[in-house]
Amino acid sequence: MTIALATLALYGVLVAPSAAAVLSVAPRDRLSELAARVGSLLAFAAAVTLLALGANGTWGPYLGLDALSEVFLVMITGIYATSAWYSKRYLRSVHRPFLTPQVYYALLSAFAFAMVFTLVVSDLGLMWIGVEATTVASALLIVLERKPTSVEAAWRYTLIASAGLTIALFALILLYSTTGTLNAFALAAHAPPATLPIEMAVALALVGYGTKVGLFPMHTWLPDAHSEAPSPVSAMFSGVLLPTALYAFLRVYRVLGTPVPSSIQYLVLAFGIATALVAAFLLQRQRSFKRLLAYSSMEVMGLALIGIAVGGVAIYGALVLVFAHAFAKSAAFYSAGNVLQAQGTTRIDELGGLGRTMPWTGAGWLVAGAAVTGAPPFGTFLGELLIVVGAVQAGLPWVGGLVVVAILIAFLGVNSQIGRMVLGDARGPPASAPRRDDGAGLIYLNLAVALAVGVASLAYLSPAIAHAASALGGAGP
Amino acid sequence: MIASDEVIALVGVGILLTALYLQSESFVDPLILGIAVQSLLLGVLLGWLAWTEHSLDLAVLAGLAVAVRAVFIPYVLRRQIRAFRWRIRERHAAHRVTGHALAAVAVAIIAWFVFQQTLASAFPEVGGALPFVLLLQGLLMLATRANTLVQVMGYLEEENAVVYAGALFAQGFPLFVEVVVFLDVLGVVLVGVILSIQRDVTGTPEESPLEELTG
Repeated sequence: MTIALATLALYGVLVAPSAAAVLSVAPRDRLSELAARVGSLLAFAAAVTLLALGANGTWGPYLGLDALSEVFLVMITGIYATSAWYSKRYLRSVHRPFLTPQVYYALLSAFAFAMVFTLVVSDLGLMWIGVEATTVASALLIVLERKPTSVEAAWRYTLIASAGLTIALFALILLYSTTGTLNAFALAAHAPPATLPIEMAVALALVGYGTKVGLFPMHTWLPDAHSEAPSPVSAMFSGVLLPTALYAFLRVYRVLGTPVPSSIQYLVLAFGIATALVAAFLLQRQRSFKRLLAYSSMEVMGLALIGIAVGGVAIYGALVLVFAHAFAKSAAFYSAGNVLQAQGTTRIDELGGLGRTMPWTGAGWLVAGAAVTGAPPFGTFLGELLIVVGAVQAGLPWVGGLVVVAILIAFLGVNSQIGRMVLGDARGPPASAPRRDDGAGLIYLNLAVALAVGVASLAYLSPAIAHAASALGGAGP
Repeated sequence: MIASDEVIALVGVGILLTALYLQSESFVDPLILGIAVQSLLLGVLLGWLAWTEHSLDLAVLAGLAVAVRAVFIPYVLRRQIRAFRWRIRERHAAHRVTGHALAAVAVAIIAWFVFQQTLASAFPEVGGALPFVLLLQGLLMLATRANTLVQVMGYLEEENAVVYAGALFAQGFPLFVEVVVFLDVLGVVLVGVILSIQRDVTGTPEESPLEELTG
């Protein structure tokens, strides 16, 4: 019975977004919007069912799930659902959109499907196809607002991400020619000896998938794409696309088994530390609030990578951080979308007094800013704390110190800028629309999830994430 | 009678020479023709391997290399620039050509050395280092060129490198043909869709807006 239900949910999580993508090309806007909304909710329900059942195992030669993929599935479908619901109001405000609502919703659902596909396949080659498919599906979403800068951002994104993924494919070729299989579960269960070609494959996968994760110095597409994409798409980029690419790397990383050879561990650590610190410093000088949020996502990915490299309880921390960040960051991007619609600008120095003109959105944004930068009691705080604790436990206190430095710099940078826009003196044109703070409900819903991960998760989510961490060789607290 | 290894080595060196030529060329039209020749040579190599090893997958890959990367994409790109084919080039590139060529040779030597030190014992195939060298040549072009169309050449060169590596090292790689089809779809999306949108949004296919799209 459980297996049948799990199979049904597995196919449900795949079919719902793909059916929504097909049905979204319906001739009426209302129908395509409905298809995306219903499809996203069904996908989310199927993902929650899989997590609740703990349905680990393989389905045929190409499909497979474990706790790690199930946690990521809930995160991706959750953000897909809230972005699908938020999109209607955002689309209304776009002047001369490049895409019709039908095409927009079809691409949004196809984008979600590509991410879901990446998580439910057990073959690393198919996983690579899934990550590459996210590029194809999402590139056109960036140009929705028909600006030359949007086209440039889409171009950079497609080219740089694809160049990185070509390197990842080269890594898979090395891996296959050395091990004779690309089944991620088989490779993780029976880790081959860590020979030089395998270490080289993992290092190339780090660079390749790391390009899509936004790791320094391959991150240059990230701030452009996040800032030029429509807000609901930015939320999916920051909240779940970067973690999906990280997931694909983790599956290759697991091939090394435990303990991970120190050369690779330090390489991953170096990329993580450099990414977190560079992003923390770069976000201080941003003039656009969407770029500010983009660099904050980059910093979080760096921290997560540090947690993965450190191992033990820090892996659990990294997963909690990524999960809570996805919901908190999408709340921040929905707030940013409301502000952009009302004020018509993304420039930080042109904004002020949002707490009075848009009280619900302003308050939500303030809280979201705190949540994405690891303020207690949000899940991001718990995640970052565990990464620091894990680093100290692993005998790497200097890593813990650098993590604390990156966290503090990013916290001050993000919250001082958002605080100035929300609480500072009113500047720029008065808010036009949405007068009633439309969409603020979704901001608070996502913030509630980020909060729940930190506070109420100990009863249910925490064990699930602990299982996910053990799938990566880590442990719960 | 020519030995199979000799054919593989000879065509492989031809592919490497096209890669070095592409690095030192600044005009876009010869670059497009250069990548077409490189893809054609790769198609010949794959066709030869398909024939000697009786592999349908390799035959399909050979067909894709010729049809998509040697013919279709170069045709679409040349149509995009047909009005100013003889003058479109990388701006300010004249004094950089020597630097690009030297950098390309340096990267090729370093890549060869790294391969010999790390992977050669695991991959003793004839010309085994060439795909690795080609991959880095494609990356070098992406990293050092500012012109949109030249960057597409870098991407196509990277794709050629991956297909080359797959054919030499990893025959039996599951769904490799599908993976390559996907890469080609992305190449077509790059040149066919995004460049067209660029023209639609800016209202002109002229050189200057294209060159604003720096990588």
